[in-house]
Amino acid sequence: MFEKILFATTATPACDHAAHVAFDLAKKYNSSLHLFHVFGLPSHGFGQQVTDVRTGKADDYGTRYVEAIKKELQEMYADEIGDNSDYQIESVIGVPHREVLRMARKENADLIVMGAHSRQEEPGATRYRSVVGSTMQRVAKGARCPVLIVSRPCTTCLWYFSNIIFGTDFSKASYSAFLFAYQLAKEIGSKLWLFHALDISAMHAGKTLEQDEIEAQIAKAKQKIKDTYVSQMTDYDNYEIDVLEGIPYVEILKYARAKNGDLIVMSHHTREVDPEQALLGSTVEQVVLRASCPVASVNRPDKVADLKLTPQADATESEGG
Amino acid sequence: MAEGKLCNRKTVDTKEYLNALLADKSGKQYYKEMEELDVDTDKLRTTLKASLKSRLRTWLEICAHCGMCADSCFLYLANNRDPEQVPSFKIQSTLGEIVKRKGNVDNKFMRMVMDTAWSKCTCCSRCGSFCPFGIDMGIMFGYLRGLCFSQGFVPWELKIGTGMHRIFRAQMDITSEDWVDTCEWMAEEYEDDWPGLAIPVDKVNADIMYTLNAREPKHYPEDIAEAAILFHLAGENWTVPSEGWEQTNLAMFAGDWAACKMQVESVYDAMNRLKPKRMVGTECGHAHRSTVIEGPYWAGLETGKTPVKSIHYVEWVAEALRTGKLKIDPAKKIKEPVTYQDSCNYIRNGGLKDISREIMSYIAEDFREMSPNREHNFCCGGGGGFNGIGRYRQQRNAGLQIKRQQILDTGAKLVISPCHNCWDAIRDMEEVFKDGIRWSFLKPLLINMVEVPEHLKPED
Repeated sequence: MFEKILFATTATPACDHAAHVAFDLAKKYNSSLHLFHVFGLPSHGFGQQVTDVRTGKADDYGTRYVEAIKKELQEMYADEIGDNSDYQIESVIGVPHREVLRMARKENADLIVMGAHSRQEEPGATRYRSVVGSTMQRVAKGARCPVLIVSRPCTTCLWYFSNIIFGTDFSKASYSAFLFAYQLAKEIGSKLWLFHALDISAMHAGKTLEQDEIEAQIAKAKQKIKDTYVSQMTDYDNYEIDVLEGIPYVEILKYARAKNGDLIVMSHHTREVDPEQALLGSTVEQVVLRASCPVASVNRPDKVADLKLTPQADATESEGG
Repeated sequence: MAEGKLCNRKTVDTKEYLNALLADKSGKQYYKEMEELDVDTDKLRTTLKASLKSRLRTWLEICAHCGMCADSCFLYLANNRDPEQVPSFKIQSTLGEIVKRKGNVDNKFMRMVMDTAWSKCTCCSRCGSFCPFGIDMGIMFGYLRGLCFSQGFVPWELKIGTGMHRIFRAQMDITSEDWVDTCEWMAEEYEDDWPGLAIPVDKVNADIMYTLNAREPKHYPEDIAEAAILFHLAGENWTVPSEGWEQTNLAMFAGDWAACKMQVESVYDAMNRLKPKRMVGTECGHAHRSTVIEGPYWAGLETGKTPVKSIHYVEWVAEALRTGKLKIDPAKKIKEPVTYQDSCNYIRNGGLKDISREIMSYIAEDFREMSPNREHNFCCGGGGGFNGIGRYRQQRNAGLQIKRQQILDTGAKLVISPCHNCWDAIRDMEEVFKDGIRWSFLKPLLINMVEVPEHLKPED
């Protein structure tokens, strides 16, 4: 299922849980694991100086510096590596999200696993190009393969997942997320919860929506889930459909909690990440930072389309949140 | 005659030599070897004879030591009006002395000359516009750097930088394959949001050939995608060359005259090969100065012009906004106070002061000029290679204070800086002084402001 897994780490304890999941997955699927850390931000023009992402200290780039970092990574993850031999460690300088995406593309990774890479963790990285938006957010947006974000301890590892929550906004990207969620649920034999949150805050700011109107829209969304996704599933009936109104990230979190979800799958295709307005981040980012289970962000069909389902004509139409 | 393994009079033409320099962390061994590097006085004398022409000789002689240039120099102002920072003193005590002694100078002297040439002058040429005789110390320091380079007295990072140009025809180790692949990657990554977006490589007879800075593919390829998006929205027929795409020229900062020529010739070759109507360069100051203004002379082009008409990115932006190829959504204009960093290399030395004001009139509601501004603006504090040289970090940081005060005085927290060097200097300034200043190229701001025609919007 995953031939190549790219584990992008900040090399801080924030990524310990992600490390555990990455190595477990690699073991389970005999995947080759690429342990990757962007350790320094280039600075001062064309000069050789880099700012270490963890210490914030400036130092000159050099081959010995890179070797020292790699050795440190080897020791840091020695327990996780164990007797696994199909892995490699790589560390580079650059802007973290850009280098993670570059490496994923170069290695043709099937899955990227990362920690939450929260903004608090990397003030330097977000400042580099005067952009706001965390590494996680940018990797999730740019990657062609699924991105699994693990920010909390994951006691049940992926193959034990019994409840997969798929959150959709009916976008084209969501369809790729669905393919991933469905493929995974089928492979693992877990239950799939197909969920949509009717975004009443964004749609009707300043206007109170009649209850029957809300209910009508809920019914419509449920039908749409059936038409768009359920119609594509074969030999599989272990699923349930739900639509709730509210603020999307809150509703998804509440729903995941209520259903004992151990994995949330959704897309992250926010077109415009305006630094001024996106201070709170996207729905995905909010879900990642708050969820007690891992979150997979899937935006593109490249690595999930091999299910060979018939193309869904209606899948590009967007509605609601 | 003693020469070091790393620090010597040779040019960096092989990857082995380049890698050896890179492996020498912080140039420790390099600078140690420099202390033992003999000056080839015969060579220096010959070089002077062949290259020091009447203009520079006259300038050295007619300087009246009036001191009018003192207050024009930001480094003089930033260093408590230290008399040794007066431009005329700086050039007379270095180049003037070498000429007087007919090249008969020693190692210690040359090291002093190197430190002066790269840490006490950014070649911004502001002094030249205040000298009653029109003596331009910036030009003379550019020449002096050439003398230093030919003797092996050049800062470590610039020996590397010019070596990169010699080997890769780019200021960083980006091969032609890396570059073309980056173009494909960026088109892939952004095509979902911008249907039909493409980065055409080596298209013959396009209206525009775009050239840029190697740091873009190396560290922030988004910039390439942003350029592509704006060309796409403006409906331009454009292309990038697979070779000859690097517009910048660290060889110019290093004083490596031969490499200066090699670099610009690679771009001119691309022009001759692809025959575009014109070239548009990225948001970079020295790239424009080297490739568009000085380059034709280095390459010995009789017209003094590039093979096809070449313009700076701001000229393209102003034109696109003026003609309506790009339309700004009035609701999305920049509302907060915003100021503009005039880059020495395309404003004072390239004449584009009014173009930048025209752009600001389209995109900003509260544009605040720095004082002084336009052709009288101060260097960002990191020009001429100053930003990238670790040996002079303290001096560079001290020099940033003038620009910092200029920015703070405007009351604006956002600085538009269509020059990689200025952009870097302001970023570093924020790192040192933490004033809460933001800095940006034009491209990302424009993308957030332009109206996207219906047919170019994604379906989703």
